[in-house]
Amino acid sequence: METGIYNKRKRSNKVGLSLSMFAMVLGMVVLLWILFILFTKGFAALNFNFFTESTPAAGSAGGGLANAMVGSLMMVTSCTLISTPIGVLAGIFLAEYGDRSRIASITRFVTDIMLSAPSIVIGLFVYAIYVAQVKHFSGWAGTLALSLLAVPVILKTTENMLRLVPGTLREAAYALGTPKWKVSLAVILRAAKSGVMTGILLAIARVSGETAPLLFTALNNQFFSSNMNKPMSNLPVVIYQFALSPYENWVNLAWGGALLITLTVLGLNILARVFFREKS
Amino acid sequence: MTGMSSGIQLTAQTAKIVRIQRIQDFLFHKVTLFFASLVLIVLAGILISLIITSWPALSEFGPGFFFSSEWDVVNQKFGGLTSIYGTLVTAVLALLIAVPISFGIAVFLTEMCPNWLRRPLGTAVELLAAVPSIIYGMFGLFVFAPLFAEYVQPALTSTIGQVPVIGALFTGAPNGIGLLCAALILAFMVVPFITSVMRDVFEIVPPVLKESAYGIGCTTWEVVTRIVLPYTQAGVVGGIMLGLGRALGETMAVTFVIGNAHRIKASLFAPGSSIASTLANEFGEAEPGLHYSSLFALGLALFIITFIVLAAAKWMLARMEKQKGAKS
Amino acid sequence: MTPDTSNLKNAIEVHNLDFFYGKFKGLKNVNLNIAENKVTAFIGPSGCGKSTLLRTFNRMYDLYPGQRAEGEINLYGENILDKDRDLNLLRAKVGMIFQKPTPFPMSIYDNIAFGVKLYENLNKADMDERVEWALNKAALWNEVKDKLNQSGLSLSGGQQQRLCIARGVAVKPSVLLLDEPTSALDPISTGKVEELVHELKNDYTVAIVTHNMQQAARVSDFTAFMYLGELIEFNETKQIFLKPDCKETEDYITGRFG
Repeated sequence: METGIYNKRKRSNKVGLSLSMFAMVLGMVVLLWILFILFTKGFAALNFNFFTESTPAAGSAGGGLANAMVGSLMMVTSCTLISTPIGVLAGIFLAEYGDRSRIASITRFVTDIMLSAPSIVIGLFVYAIYVAQVKHFSGWAGTLALSLLAVPVILKTTENMLRLVPGTLREAAYALGTPKWKVSLAVILRAAKSGVMTGILLAIARVSGETAPLLFTALNNQFFSSNMNKPMSNLPVVIYQFALSPYENWVNLAWGGALLITLTVLGLNILARVFFREKS
Repeated sequence: MTGMSSGIQLTAQTAKIVRIQRIQDFLFHKVTLFFASLVLIVLAGILISLIITSWPALSEFGPGFFFSSEWDVVNQKFGGLTSIYGTLVTAVLALLIAVPISFGIAVFLTEMCPNWLRRPLGTAVELLAAVPSIIYGMFGLFVFAPLFAEYVQPALTSTIGQVPVIGALFTGAPNGIGLLCAALILAFMVVPFITSVMRDVFEIVPPVLKESAYGIGCTTWEVVTRIVLPYTQAGVVGGIMLGLGRALGETMAVTFVIGNAHRIKASLFAPGSSIASTLANEFGEAEPGLHYSSLFALGLALFIITFIVLAAAKWMLARMEKQKGAKS
Repeated sequence: MTPDTSNLKNAIEVHNLDFFYGKFKGLKNVNLNIAENKVTAFIGPSGCGKSTLLRTFNRMYDLYPGQRAEGEINLYGENILDKDRDLNLLRAKVGMIFQKPTPFPMSIYDNIAFGVKLYENLNKADMDERVEWALNKAALWNEVKDKLNQSGLSLSGGQQQRLCIARGVAVKPSVLLLDEPTSALDPISTGKVEELVHELKNDYTVAIVTHNMQQAARVSDFTAFMYLGELIEFNETKQIFLKPDCKETEDYITGRFG
């Protein structure tokens, strides 16, 4: 046996696999490092005021992120209420009529692109067609921008989950003389319920952390406001502004906000996973 | 109690039910079709509104806009080159760093990882992918950049910085923030994403294929590089391009650490700007007019670049799906 | 080759039926009659077209573009291949049970009520009665009467299949099509389903596809042997199994192929 060649191969194998393991370790180190920083700096900012007071003016001490939390909550909630029916119904179209329709294949293609499209351009778009026309920023504009990001996620998951339902179930429903709309909603959608819910949760998680689309739409609001028709305070934009500022209390609040957002996003992701695993 | 063996009887009642069913099915088709076409309408809308709003700048500066590195707000002279350069450099650099790391992690997870560790580590990678980009930005600015400035940059300057030609990339004041730092933070962000795609396509490889390679005495590394990688190559390339598409459009991770200067310098340590960071920084104060319009022109450029990259990625992934008959 | 059915009424009459999967001809010039209130079995090796034929009777193939049927299939005198025929109504009259049990993701009660609600307006008491009647017909009532609100998916495989049979029977169709209804079941459940088929023929016309020849011999009155898309032989079950006319039939039955 050619031990020279074999040894060389063994060496390459060892090198390759060691580098792979190193990459894994590196990845874990970065993850833990980021989470560690986030938790230590973020927790330091969490106190009672953090949750009850609104954002402080430039230079003034103390303050909290209450208005930003409420603003984010309101925009994400309204985004969910708008984008869920649109995404689910569009996903149903792709799953039920997708094999015979040209529009369906084009829509699928475009949806995949919109999934990874730059969110800041979405913000520009909403600014151009809405904010610039009504001449003021608003929570609704922010909601619109977030919905444009959420719909593709919900659409894609819904279609995929519906397609996973076995064909025999569909045939069994038709075999009773069920009209197509009822097969689709009362049987197929019902069978895919948990998967579709997971998609919605993941979409919510995604838009909760988005900053760029809110920069030119909801903007920000220094005071507490629950008026969706006015500029609306929100966590991501507040974090952005405060983090880059020279004021120490602002920077602290930014870290607290960052921790809050991260916990929300990770929590929703984990919830989606657990929910899906339990039901399927 | 026999079921109507006299035939299918069309009573008045069943006739009415059938009519209603037909209407319901028709409505169902139209309503779902409408919502699906909304996606297309939005895409068209984005393109149209971007073009219309950037038209003043484009007609003023012509196609040269994209090749000019001027960005003078006072004198109203704008050119997109610095932003485009920053976008491309940070994204490409980020991928150069991220792809080997992602590959390594994907190999570890699919070939080397002990079973009990597979699920938690895989989940950890996917959670990393979910962390909002602004977190990466803050991490970069407050933690990574200072360390980068204190330890890494001087080290690079004194080693590779001394090599002729390439060394020019690694010279300059160790400020921490700059193109290279932005590229690194971007790489951290993109790694989990590319890793997921790679891991998904690696898992599609039929076990029997790998087993037959192991069966003739291949090492794990050889199975990965000679069997798995060629089998999944369209999917891997597709995944990388998806990552590129994301990196090009990323705003927050980059804006914090890129330095925000409208200059093109040879060194990667220099501050620069990307299209997204320029938009984030300047849109708030842009007066209607050429500045405003130029920003939209940048947005249009970014959208078109990412669109092309993502479309190519989709095409590659679709090709792999067709060839292998598997879901990716 | 065709049995003497002059004293029987036909539920289904098939004339010159061809079936195409795209360009491939899956059924070639099939002619036969399905007698009312009798069990007709279809046997033959894999790919012979028996399921394809069954699925033309309720136009299930219509769901898939590229599949089409040409010829005539008369259900009580009306051609169901007519393109103006309302498919939903047809399928309410010609029920189908599939190889894999397919309970809907809802309660046992709702599974049965689902089909009934489509075309009949029953009040709660009448619906309860219908559900009980259907479950009794499927010999499932005693096992599930205390858990009608539980999900249909919580039942065992054999119970789920009987649930599907109850569901199909509840809408009182004229014809019941059974597509290999016991191949996914254990022997005990299979026995129960075969007993059911015996009883069902008192009220319904039954057509059953099976790859199990013994089953065909046990439950059916008439048997059709198919091979490569053609109807080779069709006669009373006794005849087919004791004294088949065609060599291919004999070869298949004695196990020389298939």
